[in-house]
Amino acid sequence: MVAFEVPEINYTEYSNRQLAAVPLALLAVALLILGGWYVVTGYPVDPGLEFTGGTELRLDIDGNDADARAQIAEEFDAEPDSVRQVATDGSYIVTFRQGDATTTELETQANDAGFEIRSIDSVSGSFGADTQLLAIGGVLVAFGGMSLLVFAMFRTFIPSIAVVISAFSDVIIPLAMMNLIGIELTLGTVAALLMLIGYSVDSDILLNNSILRRTGDFYESTNRAMRTGVTMTITSIAAMAVMTIGAWAFGIDLLRAIGIILVVGLLADLMNTYLLNVSLLRWYKYEGVR
Amino acid sequence: MFERIKQNYRVTLLVIICLLAAFALFSPTMAPETDVGGEDATAREGVTNLRYGLDLAGGTRIQAPLIGLTAEDVEFSGDGEATVAREVAAELPDTEETDVIVRQEFEDEPGTVEVVSRNITESQFDDALNAAGYEHGEVSSGVTQATREEAISVLEGKVNEAGLSGSTVQEVTSGTGEFFIMTEVPGEGRQDVIDLIQERGSVRVDIYHQNDDGEYVNETAVLTQEDFQTVGTAQQNDRQGPHVPVTVRESSATDFQQAVVDTGLAQGSQCTYFEDAETTDPCLLLVVDDEVVNAFGMNPGLANDMQSGEWAQDPNFILTTGDFEDAQRVALNLRAGALPAPLDLESGTTSFISPTQGEEFRTNSLIVGILAVFSVAGFVFLRYREPRVAAPMIVTALSEVFILLGFAAALGYPLDLAVIAGFIAVIGTGVDDLIIIADGVMAEGDVKSRKVFDSRFRRAFWVIGAAAATTIVAMSPLAVLSLGDLRGFAIFTILGVLVGVLVTRPAYGDILRYLLTDR
Repeated sequence: MVAFEVPEINYTEYSNRQLAAVPLALLAVALLILGGWYVVTGYPVDPGLEFTGGTELRLDIDGNDADARAQIAEEFDAEPDSVRQVATDGSYIVTFRQGDATTTELETQANDAGFEIRSIDSVSGSFGADTQLLAIGGVLVAFGGMSLLVFAMFRTFIPSIAVVISAFSDVIIPLAMMNLIGIELTLGTVAALLMLIGYSVDSDILLNNSILRRTGDFYESTNRAMRTGVTMTITSIAAMAVMTIGAWAFGIDLLRAIGIILVVGLLADLMNTYLLNVSLLRWYKYEGVR
Repeated sequence: MFERIKQNYRVTLLVIICLLAAFALFSPTMAPETDVGGEDATAREGVTNLRYGLDLAGGTRIQAPLIGLTAEDVEFSGDGEATVAREVAAELPDTEETDVIVRQEFEDEPGTVEVVSRNITESQFDDALNAAGYEHGEVSSGVTQATREEAISVLEGKVNEAGLSGSTVQEVTSGTGEFFIMTEVPGEGRQDVIDLIQERGSVRVDIYHQNDDGEYVNETAVLTQEDFQTVGTAQQNDRQGPHVPVTVRESSATDFQQAVVDTGLAQGSQCTYFEDAETTDPCLLLVVDDEVVNAFGMNPGLANDMQSGEWAQDPNFILTTGDFEDAQRVALNLRAGALPAPLDLESGTTSFISPTQGEEFRTNSLIVGILAVFSVAGFVFLRYREPRVAAPMIVTALSEVFILLGFAAALGYPLDLAVIAGFIAVIGTGVDDLIIIADGVMAEGDVKSRKVFDSRFRRAFWVIGAAAATTIVAMSPLAVLSLGDLRGFAIFTILGVLVGVLVTRPAYGDILRYLLTDR
């Protein structure tokens, strides 16, 4: 039987700078991507239907893929923003931008064309703009609350800021990744980002607790926390990866969005916790001013 | 025996809570009540008491604000509500008097004026009030609470009449403080629901009287919606009881007066239409969608004015009703049986899920959830290679979900995709914490005594408590903000973390202790 063992890293071979370099470089790249995106498109991440307004239809269409896509192009007067086929049931998810056509027009056209409508979602532009503001506010409040709580729990600057920086990077890296793989910001992804803030600090808290509160050598404590932490995070990644694949196959967009963000974010967390956080804590333990 | 239970009280607590959850889930006595539209039937679906939200059951949800502007603290300087409405409407473009709603709770005190026609700007409304000579406070967009409540009761009436069981109509507030009316109708198509909402009910007034041969006949449609100049809001006072003041258009007033005189209604009448239609004096009937909803007599004072022809000079009267709710209904129906203010469907959200799609989502999300559980289980077995540690872990994590399902059933909270995502997240955090406990307890060699176990367990629990607190803090904005479906996700994740920290994870500690120590 295949057994899973958490590998032990020999941290003594690397300097703090070397350890911190990789996660900090990745964070910088992620911030650059978001900044660049903002300069080019006006948004750090492409906002999805729920934030920009628009209409999404899920349709059953007879015929093969090429034929169905031709029918979609032909039957709707407005040009679809995107057309995507769901793997398991062969239905099509077609989205239209706000203002290109009213939902009622689209519904009528779909009915006239003989498509079977599985679902329709429409969001008005003004409603979407409000939602966007609210979502950004929510993420900021959640992050601020988490930071305060972490500082209250550890009451020392370096270990606390290590957790906060690592959580920040855990959120920023998936956001940049969304741009690279073409995922739009939806309510589902916002929920996943908030979830990530809660999820990702678990392993950081475990590490801090093990090093600061428990007796024993620094490396021993680190490895002990790592054995538990890596198991935890990889278990979560496994669950989320399965959820993502399943939801993708069944065309359940909400679960897919939540899953994919958590997978990327938790991978980033593995790196941030055991490279960035460890290096900060080692510096604090051996060289830091207390 | 008792000693054993006491020592393992955490496990006992978990078992009791699981039993309660099972009761909430399966007992027919806990079956949820139906919302508007249902007759006496309960909304039990399948073998459990769980209710499914729109995306798992199919149906239509429409969320939209009411169109309108409101001026607060308007001084009416002695003018009646009808006069105010007329004066203000006259100053606004494309605005009928029925588009202006005037509310004055107490006589001689300032009231509110709302204008509910499209395309009127705040400054136009402000100017109109000034031009009409009414001092007023702030003009803001949106309608009053009273108007929203009326709109909700109209919509409830509509879905009720259409026999759409399980429907809900409620007010929701967006994060920016805007009010939306949300209508959810299971199983119906989007356009059907929009049509239902926007349909104008037909309202007319008939006169029911005896003809020359002594037979009772209906003089139909002596007044229709178009004949009313203003319809006041339902009100109640000591002298007149619950009533609705109305004004008839001058062009229709003379004809109506003539009809009232000809039918004998103007002799003063006591209407007993509902008690005994065969012996009653002549009645005014209020007919909505061809159904008589109310019958009125006429008091002698008004009857005299009708006979002398004076009434047509100042054609207003009040429709008295038995109780205030009836008065509200009459007022609503007379306002064309329509909403007091139109719904702005273009500024809201609509969603429709076909019942087949809902059913597929239900099965498929269940499959996804089970797959996620299997992957977690598989991983935990690979890591510990010790079924004694891993098996209770999986069972404990699943019990958390079971308890949450019990909560959902007991609260009548409809399950949707977001809640299911919350369940999967709960399994994730749950197993994480159980791993911390297992590792924390076993890390430093074998556990010999209960004392060693307890001290290690407490240390591990500090981390779990801290992690739980951060998750709750991170998710709480979502639970409070109205970001659509995600509220369910946040609420159930937070509930799951609480149940985990307070009940299931301590219980896992007890189970692990039982298995690892020699007691």
